[in-house]
Amino acid sequence: MLLNRYSLGTMLAATALAQTPVMPKLTKGPAKPGFDVSRFVLTPVGTFQTFYVKETFPLKKALEEGRVAPDTRLLVIDTASGKLALIRDQMTYHHIAQGRARNKDWMATF
Amino acid sequence: MVPVIDGKLHHFSNAGLYDGLFTLYDAESQTLWNHVTGEAEYGPLVGRSLGPPGNELQTSVGQALEMDSTMEIAISDRVYFAGAKQFGTAGAVSAVGGRGQGAANQGPAGPNPNAVMSDRFVQTLGTEDVRRPRMELGLGVWTNTTHRYYPVVRIREHGGAFVDRMDGRQVLIFIDSESNTPAALFVNAKSARKQDKDVTLDDGSVVRAGVLLDRAGKRLPMEHPQQIFTRWYGFALTFPGGEVYGQ
Repeated sequence: MLLNRYSLGTMLAATALAQTPVMPKLTKGPAKPGFDVSRFVLTPVGTFQTFYVKETFPLKKALEEGRVAPDTRLLVIDTASGKLALIRDQMTYHHIAQGRARNKDWMATF
Repeated sequence: MVPVIDGKLHHFSNAGLYDGLFTLYDAESQTLWNHVTGEAEYGPLVGRSLGPPGNELQTSVGQALEMDSTMEIAISDRVYFAGAKQFGTAGAVSAVGGRGQGAANQGPAGPNPNAVMSDRFVQTLGTEDVRRPRMELGLGVWTNTTHRYYPVVRIREHGGAFVDRMDGRQVLIFIDSESNTPAALFVNAKSARKQDKDVTLDDGSVVRAGVLLDRAGKRLPMEHPQQIFTRWYGFALTFPGGEVYGQ
């Protein structure tokens, strides 16, 4: 395939776009008293992905099937349908999990 | 926390660092939120809260099943290891991890007591409270009126378990033998001591495998105060002027 000036330009622009991190958009305040937005450092969108919980399984079954071990570290939270375990090592990446139980939305952070 | 504002579900992500801690951001309003307290800090929803924050207990699968054999688990597609096997397909576990460097829960190897804060985090810090070393590990416990930090070294000086008072109630502060993390639990006892993996209280009750039992071995209801395993700077910048146990 021959590259002309236009297609090369398009490719370079696409490459530049692919490498330019997209930052979360912020409004111009207001700020809570004492909050200094100049100290806030943005993280590019997509660096960490929130875990949207769509399904859960009995922990006992997950252990029996070997998907977790007895010493696997967990974070345990309370939801409207009872206690829910999240795998700690996964949450060190996600930082945030959101889900819904018995028509009530919940969110956990780590 | 409750990610619902005025009846509408909001979608949250990690938008960056402030005070060395990761900051929540909701796409719908573009507001920044403190992930420990759930309070809006910057943006159109300042003055609002996602509270109550709710507690996250750190434990193991074995202890969790002792606590509640019907407990459910949610597993994402992210890579993790269990029983020397790798599960999940997406990416590697974050090397940064935790709630920023303020949370003490970083990475599979657990907290590093000798960690040094990177420049990227340092630039986000406010005026630091120098009563304790910046990166010291401890347990932050708080109520509406009391914010108190328990250095892990102080808990260990007490043999790994003791009873303190908070807002007129007795609270057990202890190092959980299984997870090796500090924890707080409201109790009726006045003193406690560790015996092997158990915490024995002077009213005959015992904390075993994360479960509170009476002297007959019957389960008792457990009430945990709001708490976070954190580094000192994370607690001190979130709760300025908070108490430090023992000083």
